[in-house]
Amino acid sequence: MDWSLIFENTLKGFIGINAVYFALAALGLNVQFGYTGLLNFGQAGFMACGAYGLGMTAQYFEISMWWGIPLGILFSVGLGLLMGVPTLRLRADYLAIVTIAAAEIIRLVVRSVRFKHYFGGSDGINNFSRTFRDLGNKVGIDEASRYGFSPFRFTGRELWTLIVGWILVALLGFFVYTLMKSPWGRVLKAIREDEDAVRSLGKNVYSYKMQSLILGGILGTISGMIFALDRAAVQPDNYSRDVTFYILTALVLGGVARVSGSIIGPMIFWGIFTFLDNFMRQVADDPIRIGNFQVMDSTDVGPLNFILIGLTLILLMVFRPQGVFGDRKEMAFDGR
Amino acid sequence: MANRWRRLIVLLFGFLAVLGWAATPASADGVSLRAQVKEQARGAGGETANKPIAGVVIVVTDEAGNEVGRGETDDKGVVVIELPGKANYTVTLDEDTLPDGQALTGTSPATQRLTAESFITSTKVVNFFTGESQGGSQNLGEKLAQRLVNGIRLGLILAMCSVGLSLIFGTTGLTNFAHGEMVTFGGLAAFIFNITGLTFLGFLGFLPGVTDDGKFHILIAAPLGIAAGGLFGWALNAGIFARLRQRGIGLVTQMVLTVGLSILLRNVYLSRFDSRTRPYGDYSLQKSWKFGPIQITPRDFTLSVLSVVILVAVALALRYTRLGKATRAVSDNPDLASSTGIDSERVVKLVWILGGALAATGGVFRGLDEQVSFDMGARLLFLMFAGITLGGLGSAFGALVGGFVVGVLVEVASLVVPSELKAAPALLILILVLLFRPQGILGKAQRVG
Repeated sequence: MDWSLIFENTLKGFIGINAVYFALAALGLNVQFGYTGLLNFGQAGFMACGAYGLGMTAQYFEISMWWGIPLGILFSVGLGLLMGVPTLRLRADYLAIVTIAAAEIIRLVVRSVRFKHYFGGSDGINNFSRTFRDLGNKVGIDEASRYGFSPFRFTGRELWTLIVGWILVALLGFFVYTLMKSPWGRVLKAIREDEDAVRSLGKNVYSYKMQSLILGGILGTISGMIFALDRAAVQPDNYSRDVTFYILTALVLGGVARVSGSIIGPMIFWGIFTFLDNFMRQVADDPIRIGNFQVMDSTDVGPLNFILIGLTLILLMVFRPQGVFGDRKEMAFDGR
Repeated sequence: MANRWRRLIVLLFGFLAVLGWAATPASADGVSLRAQVKEQARGAGGETANKPIAGVVIVVTDEAGNEVGRGETDDKGVVVIELPGKANYTVTLDEDTLPDGQALTGTSPATQRLTAESFITSTKVVNFFTGESQGGSQNLGEKLAQRLVNGIRLGLILAMCSVGLSLIFGTTGLTNFAHGEMVTFGGLAAFIFNITGLTFLGFLGFLPGVTDDGKFHILIAAPLGIAAGGLFGWALNAGIFARLRQRGIGLVTQMVLTVGLSILLRNVYLSRFDSRTRPYGDYSLQKSWKFGPIQITPRDFTLSVLSVVILVAVALALRYTRLGKATRAVSDNPDLASSTGIDSERVVKLVWILGGALAATGGVFRGLDEQVSFDMGARLLFLMFAGITLGGLGSAFGALVGGFVVGVLVEVASLVVPSELKAAPALLILILVLLFRPQGILGKAQRVG
C-alpha cells in the first residue's frame, strides 16, 4: 500500500478541478435549494447548457469561442423558463419532478444519433479549448511546463484552469454572499420560510422564485463551462441525473444556505472521494481474502464509491439535514 | 422500543445482504452475436459512408423457431446478443423499428441464417445495411396497431408501478425518488430465485419446479419476488420513514433522503449484478402469435391479462374494502381521517407494503417482457412521474389511468419520434398537464401553490 501516493492524490482532489466545478454548481444549487427552498434536481441540465454552448460555438459557428459564454447562458435561461413556468406556482415537488425529467431529456437529445450533426452524439464535441489555453500561455503559464511543489504539482494546463476556476468561485461566492444580504436575498429566504406571508406583503413570489431558479441555473452553466474547458471535451454522459445528486450531497456536506458551505462542501466531498477511491483501488490490487471469499475486486470499487455517497446523503439527512457546518434553523422549512 | 428498531434495521440489511451476495454475476461462457445496422450512402464518386442506426430491434431464433434473444442497437448501431451455444440460428431485423424513410437495401435481407460452423470465434458478426426507402412494407394503420399493443403492455406495467408511488405521496406527502429501485428490487429478487438460486433452499428440491440447488421456476420465483418486494416496502417504512415521521423531520429532507437511497440501492444492484441485461430462465424463448398486423408472444399476452386482473383487483379493493376506503381517506386529508378514528400509521404501513409489492410485480413483468438489469426501474421512474402527475398526484385511480395513458402515448409517439428519444413526449405531457390542469385528470381542483 502506497500511502504517500494516496495522500498526494487526496490533497490534489481537495483543491482540484472537480472541486471547482462542483463548488460553482453547488453555489447555484444553494441559491435555489438553500436560500429559496426550490428543489432543482436538474442542475446537470444547466451544466450541459454551458458546456454545449461553448462546444457548439467553437465547433460549428466559426466564431470566437468566447461567444459560447452568452450562448450557454441563453440556453440556461431558456431551460430555467421551461422548468419554472409550469411548476413554480405549484408545490415544491413538481419542480423536482420536472427538473429531473428535463435534465434527463436534454442528455438523451444531445447523445441521440438523430441530432448527432449538432451535438456530436455520444462522443460529444472535442478539442475546443485552444483559445482558452492560448490565453493561459499569454498570461505566462506555459501549458507544457510543470508548476508547484509536492504534493501540489500541476501541469501549466491544469494550473491555468484551476486559477481561473478558483477566481470565479471567489468572485461568484462573494457575489452570492452580498446578494443574499441584500433586500432581494432576504425576500428569497422569506419565501423559503413562508410563501404566503411574503405574498401578503405584496411581493410577486412567482417572479422571485423564477429569478432564483435562473440565477442558480446560470451558476450551474458557468460550472459546466469550466468543466468543459478543462476537459476540452463535452460528453453527454457527464451530465447524467446522478451528477446533480452528487452535487447535492457535496452541498449538504458543506452546509445548506451558506456560501462557505457550498465551497467547502465540494472540497471535502472530493477529498474524501479521491481518498476512498485510491484507497480501495489499492486494496483491490492486493485483495484481502477470508477463506474462499474475496473482500473486494477492482470492479467493485466504482459502485462501492457511489454506495458510500448514497449512504452519506442518507445519514446526513437523518442526523444533520442542515449539513455539517449549516445552521439548523435554515433547513426547518417544509415542502408542502 | 429501541430494540425493535434495531431488529428491523438488522432485518433490512440482512435482506440486502442476501440480495447482494447471493447473486454473483454468472460467467459468460456461451457465444455471442454482434449485429450491426448501418445506413449505406454512396457518394457521387462511388465512395461509401456508413452511418450507424440506433434503436433497431434484432431477434435471434433457433431452428425450432423459438426466440433465443433479442436486443436493440445502441447509438453505434451495434447490439450484442448472447447465445446459448454454437448452433444454427436465424437472425431477423424487425423492420418496423427502422427509422422512418429507411429500409433494408436489396442486397441485405431482413432475415439472415447462421450455421453452427460459421461461429469461428465466440463472437459472430452480422451486418445489415439500409438505405433510403420508398415507403415501408407496412402501412401506417398496421404500424399504429402494433405500437398500440406495445403501448398497452408498457402502460399496464407503468400503471402497476405507479400506484405505490402515488399512494405513498397521497398518504404521507413524500415523493419517493427511490421508487424505481423498488421496481428493480422485484425484478432482481425474482431473478435470484429463478436463475442464481439460493442454495440453502435446496432442501425444497422435492417440490415441483424447484431444483436441488435452490432454483425456482419463474411461476414460483415471481410470487416470491413480489412478496420480497412487499417486505422490502415494509422494511423501508419501518426502518427509515416511520422513524423520520415520528421525529417530525420535514418532507424536503425526506425527499433528499430518498435520492440518497436511490443512489445507494442502484449501486448495490450494479455491484452485484453488473451492468448486463439478462432474461429469466423460463418463457424467454417464444414464437409470436400473429393477429393480422399485430404480433404478440403468448408470454406478453398472458402478462397483459394478468396485469389487468391485478389492477382491477387493486381498484376494487381500494373502492370497497374498509382498508381501501381508509387509505383513500388518509390520502385525501390525513388530519380529517385521523380525527375520525382511522389509524393513519397503520394505513401508511399498508400502503408501503402494497406499493412495494405492486412495484415488484411491475419489475417482474417488465423483466419478463424486456429483460432484467440493475437500472430497469430507474429508467421507468420518469415515466411513472409523468403518469401520476397526469392522473393526479396522490390519487390511486389517477395513477392507474395516468400510467396507462403515458405508456400508450409514449409507444404510439415513437411512430414519429426516434426511438432513442421515446421518453421525450412524456416530458411534454408533464409540462402541458402542469400548465393547464395541475391537479391531473382525476385529482380534485384545489389550491396547490
